Amino acid sequence: MRVPIGWLREFVDLPDDAGSIADRLASLGFPVAEIERRPDITGVAVGKVLDIAKHPNADRLQVAHIDAGDDEPLTIATAATNVAAGQTIAVARIGARLPQLTIAPRTMRGIASQGMMISAEELALPAEWFEDGILQLDPETPAGADAVALFGLNDPVFDVEITTNRVDAMSILGIARELAASYRCPLRVPELLEAGDARANGDPSIAVALASTGCTRFVVQQFGELHAGVAPAWMRVRLALAGQRPIDNVVDVSNYVMLETGQPLHFYDAGRIAGSTLTVRDAHKDETIVTLDDVERRLAPSTLVVADQQRALGIAGVMGGRDSEVSSSTSSVVLEAATFEGSRVRRAAKALGLRTEAAARHEKTLPPRLADFGAARAAWLLVQMGATASQPRAYGEALEEPSPIALRTRDVKRLLGLEVPAQRIAGQLESLGCRVAQSGDTFDVTPPWWRRDLVIAADLIEEVARMEGYDRIDAAVPSVAPHAISSDSFDRERHAANALAALDYREIVTYSLRPSKELERVRRAGFSFADAAVEVRNPLSEDQRFLRTSLADGFVSYCAQIDRPVRVFEIGDTFRRDDDGAIDERSGAIVGFAAESLDEPAWRDTHFLRLKGDCERLLERLTGRACAAERASAPGLHPGKTAALMIDGTRVATFGCIDPRLAAAFDVRLPLYFAIVALDRLPAYAVKRYQPASKFPGTSRDLALTLDTSVDADAVQRTIVEAIGAACSSAEAFDEYRGPQIPADKKSLAVRVALRLDDATITDAQADEAIERAREALATKLGATLRT
Amino acid sequence: MNGLETSLKDVRQRFATSIERAQDERGLEAARVAYLGRSGEVTNVRRQIGALPPAERPDAGRVINEAVAAMETMLDDAAAAQRNRALESQLEESIDVTFPAIRPAEGSISPLRRVVEDVCAYFRSHGFAIVTGPEVEPDYYNFDALNIPPDHPAREGFDSFWLTDSLLLRPHTSPVQVRTMQQHRPPIAIIAPGRCYRRDAVDARHLFQFHQIEGLMVGEGVHFGHLKGMLEAMCRELFGPAQNVRFRPSFFPFTEPSAEVDTTCPRCGGHAQTCGMCGGSGWIELGGCGMVHPSVLRYVNYDPETYTGWAFGFGVERLALARYEIDDIRRFVNSDPAFLAALQ
Repeated sequence: MRVPIGWLREFVDLPDDAGSIADRLASLGFPVAEIERRPDITGVAVGKVLDIAKHPNADRLQVAHIDAGDDEPLTIATAATNVAAGQTIAVARIGARLPQLTIAPRTMRGIASQGMMISAEELALPAEWFEDGILQLDPETPAGADAVALFGLNDPVFDVEITTNRVDAMSILGIARELAASYRCPLRVPELLEAGDARANGDPSIAVALASTGCTRFVVQQFGELHAGVAPAWMRVRLALAGQRPIDNVVDVSNYVMLETGQPLHFYDAGRIAGSTLTVRDAHKDETIVTLDDVERRLAPSTLVVADQQRALGIAGVMGGRDSEVSSSTSSVVLEAATFEGSRVRRAAKALGLRTEAAARHEKTLPPRLADFGAARAAWLLVQMGATASQPRAYGEALEEPSPIALRTRDVKRLLGLEVPAQRIAGQLESLGCRVAQSGDTFDVTPPWWRRDLVIAADLIEEVARMEGYDRIDAAVPSVAPHAISSDSFDRERHAANALAALDYREIVTYSLRPSKELERVRRAGFSFADAAVEVRNPLSEDQRFLRTSLADGFVSYCAQIDRPVRVFEIGDTFRRDDDGAIDERSGAIVGFAAESLDEPAWRDTHFLRLKGDCERLLERLTGRACAAERASAPGLHPGKTAALMIDGTRVATFGCIDPRLAAAFDVRLPLYFAIVALDRLPAYAVKRYQPASKFPGTSRDLALTLDTSVDADAVQRTIVEAIGAACSSAEAFDEYRGPQIPADKKSLAVRVALRLDDATITDAQADEAIERAREALATKLGATLRT
Repeated sequence: MNGLETSLKDVRQRFATSIERAQDERGLEAARVAYLGRSGEVTNVRRQIGALPPAERPDAGRVINEAVAAMETMLDDAAAAQRNRALESQLEESIDVTFPAIRPAEGSISPLRRVVEDVCAYFRSHGFAIVTGPEVEPDYYNFDALNIPPDHPAREGFDSFWLTDSLLLRPHTSPVQVRTMQQHRPPIAIIAPGRCYRRDAVDARHLFQFHQIEGLMVGEGVHFGHLKGMLEAMCRELFGPAQNVRFRPSFFPFTEPSAEVDTTCPRCGGHAQTCGMCGGSGWIELGGCGMVHPSVLRYVNYDPETYTGWAFGFGVERLALARYEIDDIRRFVNSDPAFLAALQ
């Protein structure tokens, strides 16, 4: 909210330095996002135009004599055309500093001009918001007065951030109250014309019917003899500094009162109200209204409207209607100052896309008493401007006193850790307008009517803390009592991430929300898992419509985009709709790489084996257990180049080469290899127990086998280990060959067999005998022959 | 005897010459074998003993043994000298130690994870547990149980992605607080890091997906001063010992009193008028915190008369942007290899 400091100063005495006021506001919970400094303007006075005549030597110039409070009137030439005798205007004397220039004596076509008549633009006000030509001031301002000081033109303007709970502070007066409490200085309440005031006469001719619970209070008041026109200069300047464009005297008064007090107002042209009753009701089905911005709007039935006997005249709390708008021909206006149910206003404003200044306040449900206050302020201003006023008439619930809140003084220390003496607590709360009554060690605190956010003791304790200053609370380090809350899931991720980093992979972050286009491509490539994707109802764009079903989505599109060899991993959650429609969320990791393809025969894949090694290492590090690989299939992975890694019968990872159909769908150029690790299925870490190796030396034999291409190395290794028994400490394939030297459906496999006994050195004869047993088993079980 | 002595003298002279000529240990070994070996020159001389009269034989043996001892000493000295020379020449070797290192290939964890791990490590050392939770959560955990009933205007502050009428992508990590409090009785001391989602248009400061790190402590005698103490120390841990921390009143439905936390801008140290990171204010915003609202405690059947607690929730990206002086939040999701390598 824009807050001109000059306006604040009307209600509270403040230090000169805007920076220190801003710091104070921040410490009260109202951070100043920006201090808009005004140009330094001096030497501008209020002047009365005594006479004006055409310049004798220039067609386009006029020469005026102006009383600027000096002994002699000033002679000033001007090219402006809106100046007439009797006007009150702003003049810059010789030596005056304006944003663009400094006024010097000069001779204009033979006449010495002793200053300059000033337009709004020359006072750094938005020119398009004011009259063309010279700024017209109010007749009652005395000649010679310092116009800069009068209008607070040099005072900076704050852009204050207001938290959603403080609707009371969405006003100049509200901010002034906070500062007055904090600086412990008196608040000057604006002048009001309240019910019963002798200057108001009779009842309004319009009655109000509250036909919906959405309106709790409605103050109506009628004003006559209103001379349509511009509002006083001081009001227009203030509105402009606050960022509000001046329109005419009636609209300006309603904006002025809203900005000043926080109560939005609405004026109806009394002559354009059909019948004699304003009704607050729910909108009819398919009811439409043309709002002030000339847009016809269809209203939802939950929308609250203010209507006459024929039609809706306005959307309650949001915007008025064009049909009852005050115009230059209006002679009598009806004021509405009402309290609406915030949630109704909020929904209506949202549905219509009309978050007006009024709606921004009404949607937080204003205190009913503020309606009376706002009306009284408007009445005073209008009467000052020459209007006649009826008495205000209020409809709706009676005004209730806020209920007292019990505050135990010791709870201040309990919650804040700050010792504040009881009397000081009472003083802080009283400075904010609370009434404090003591009973024993408890205060009964009645908040002021404008602070409806104060409901429980903790709210009051925050007030005490704000007034004391949060910086007064000493920092302390708590001691945490033992508890049984586990960190396992976090640790699993942490260990996985660090192990993968050690294996030369970089962690990436991709979006969990995926584009529709991507899903469509996956689906067209023939992958049905896309059907399980969970859809977001209200995405910002099609680029974020679906939750990822697999970490592969982000990985593959990342690799496609990088388009050069990378080794990366990501840890995160994936989401699938299961058969019952429930959302299955799992946490996992993807690890993989894009690599240049190697010049290898189709039956060999070194990249695959490297990834396998990384996965084995990772899983061993995370679980302390050995894992076994077996052929597997998984959507997104190549049907012949995919394996699962099993620990104790549970599949904990699936890895392999990307399915070429998926690669094509993503336009991936380089071969991709990736593994999906089910972090949430990993068994607990098993600490290894030390087993001493045999003290006796072993030996090893290399076997060259010829066998069918369909026989996997794993089968060969296991057959050897089983056939030899305990003497075989390992059997590991280390080379494979297919080609012209062996038949087409055969392959040659080289296996190293390590032999060792626990209780003696193994002899050559024993080793030979073991190998012979292996040969026999390989021949009978796998049809393998030993090459020599 | 004279003949033997003469030949012995000759052998010793030739031995001395060959040792002198030996270039290295292998040359010395060759000399040893040629003269002192089993079938070496000295053995040849020893054979002459048999031709001597028996009375002279002991003397001859003694003379030969003395000669052998002397030759062995010569050999040892020569070997020692040889080794010294070798050592000296080794010691004279010198390389360019400034030549670029050969480094092992190593990957990296993301800068976001590093921040999370550092924050967690700090709180862990004080006895906090680190807890995670699902990203798809019912509105109950996101709002109702956090004192944001349906139709509360604060719900609009969390502009969320909805999946069904009641399920949404969590806009904050606070549901983890509720779940933890439901499962455990006080004392509670947890940190909950995790991914969150809000409908923010993507720009240099915003992503629709981001990470939060949440803290919650509930127990008897827990007060605002503790919150200040922990967060101040955490900031110093992350950004350095000179870090100042500022608490400003604010509003959140789930805490009362509430505060915004700022810390000294790590780039300008709070001194520059035109700092690109803090905009010249000298402070950067970390996030919100406060004392857990009594209604939130009541929702999980904790008696607010007995227990008090504090909570905070910070943006991990924001911490990482400040800590590593990163210019654009989108870099985290672009995950460009050069970006990741630069922060390794």
